[in-house]
Order: sequence, then structure tokens, then C-alpha cells
Amino acid sequence: MNGRLAQALILIVISALAAIVTNAVRQENLDLMGNWPSVSGSDSIIVPPSAQEGDPPFISLDEAAAKFQSSEVLFIDARDQEDYEYGHIRGAINLPYEEMDLFWDEVSPKISRDRPLVLYCSGEECETSLMLAREMVLQGWTDIYVFFGGWREWEKAKLPVERGIE
Amino acid sequence: MGEGQIAGRKGDRIVARIKTFLHNDYLNLVVRIFVGIVFIYASIDKIADPGQFARIVYNYHMLPGSLINIFALILPWVEMICGISLILGIYKEGSILIFNMMVLAFIIGISVNIIRGVNLECGCFTVSSKARSSAIDLLVRDIGLLALTVYLLFSKSKRFDLVGRRA
Repeated sequence: MNGRLAQALILIVISALAAIVTNAVRQENLDLMGNWPSVSGSDSIIVPPSAQEGDPPFISLDEAAAKFQSSEVLFIDARDQEDYEYGHIRGAINLPYEEMDLFWDEVSPKISRDRPLVLYCSGEECETSLMLAREMVLQGWTDIYVFFGGWREWEKAKLPVERGIE
Repeated sequence: MGEGQIAGRKGDRIVARIKTFLHNDYLNLVVRIFVGIVFIYASIDKIADPGQFARIVYNYHMLPGSLINIFALILPWVEMICGISLILGIYKEGSILIFNMMVLAFIIGISVNIIRGVNLECGCFTVSSKARSSAIDLLVRDIGLLALTVYLLFSKSKRFDLVGRRA
């Protein structure tokens, strides 16, 4: 039994070395200690690890909820259609980032360039809202916010949602 | 008289047969190769894109933020190295122990998130967010896998091991 444990430890050490070495030589490597948010409160702004200088502003759940009160603000759901149909922030428009080619021509004319936009996806682990925000900035939209807590935070807070296609 | 004894002996024979079956070298080899290939296959996509896998690990909400990246980097390599170890029979007993622990941890992780109601990306065989199976399916799959790794834990066969083979 002890032999078994010793073997297991050796295998794990070999794997850890392989992981650290391959990560070190990789171009897009990960920080060994990531800065993933441990807890997310409603007033804390969740910022993804890949955020860069010049990205659109990130807003917290509270700020997103405040913007939701204004009829001027439009919410954009960057998840795929299946997730959107399952449930989305009430009034949000679906523009799946991963299939943007299919949706862009149909959806983008509906999005006025004068209205403030709040982009979101599932939550902290997805970055499609940020990717879509960058793309839309390139395409000329200016008033864009990213709500990175996303669908999960919104739903957890029991804020208004909608099911199915609008 | 007699009947009880015969029944007793019959029971012994069944137990003996099960034992023979359990320790059958070929069955052991087939299960080893299958489990090994499952884990090696599972590791490839995650080794290729650790950043994506780290996000999936994060979504399980089971680890403190500072451990997520290091876990996401090492876990796929453990799957790969132990998969090879299992198939070749080098430090096989160690990798069987690790696989048992790992599958058990997967089952706990998935169960906790079913209870929490989190819509989970598995991160099992691919890091693509398109592949989303239901959590119950994942659970059933992992319990099946656990049955195989537990079998390997108890099945004593060294015939096809590269290291530690009986003469």
C-alpha cells in the first residue's frame, strides 16, 4: 500500500514538472497563481483576467440593475442561442459571439448606435461578452459596458428575466 | 443433512469463480487499456488550451482563486502520464490509486454543482463551450468509470506489466 502511495506521488511530481515546463515554454502561458475572484458580491465589479487597457468599462450587478431601470439602455446577450432561449435578462437581444457571422447581419441593425449597451454572457468564466464588446467598439459603437457577472449573477439575484425567444 | 453443505459449497464455487474472473489477466488488460485511453484522450484538449480549461475549473467553484491555474495546468498532465503508466504497467498501482481519487473528486464536484444548480461545462474531454451534456449524464458516466477504476484496485494481475511482472 505504501508502495502504491509512493508511486502515486512520483507520477504526480512528473506530471507537475511536465505541466510547469510546457507552460513555461508556451507563448500564451498562464500565471501559476491566477487572480480569479474568490467571491463575488453584488457591488463588486468582476473583471476578467484577460482585461486590457482600453477595454470598455466593467460594471457590477448593482450598476447593471440600475441601468436596467433606464429604458434607454439595451442589454446584449453574447451567449449562444440555446442558452439565450433557456433564459436571459428581460428585453436583452441575442448576438452570439461565437456565431457572429450568422447573426451579425440580422441583429446588428436592431442595435442603435446612440443607445448605451450592456453586454453580458454566462458569468465570470466566459469571456464572449468582452470579445463582443471589443468587436462592437471596432464597429463604431461607443457607449458600451460589460457586465461580467453575467446571467448567473443576474439570475441568482432574482432580477427580471425572460424565457424563450423574444 | 447434506443440502446445506451442498448449498454452502455451491456458494464457495461461485465466489471462487468470481475471484478467477476478477483476477483474469486479459480482462484486467482490456480494462486497463480502456481506462488509460479514456484519460489520455481526455487530457489532450486540456493540455492544448489550459486557459480555457482554467475557466471551466473556475466555474466548478470548488477551489480558491489562487489554485485554479496551477490545478488546470497539472490535472491534464496527471491524466496523460497516469494513462500511459496504466497501459504500460509502469507504476501502475500508483496510477490506479490516482484515478480512483480523481474520479471520486469529479463525482463530488459534479454532484455539488447539481445541488447548487450551476449550469456546468464538464471540461471532461473538450474545453469547447459547445459540448455541454446534462449533469446527470456526466454523473452516470463518472460512476461507470469509477466502477472500472475500483475493479482495477482489487484485480491482481501483473502479467502484462512492464515493471514488477511476476517471473
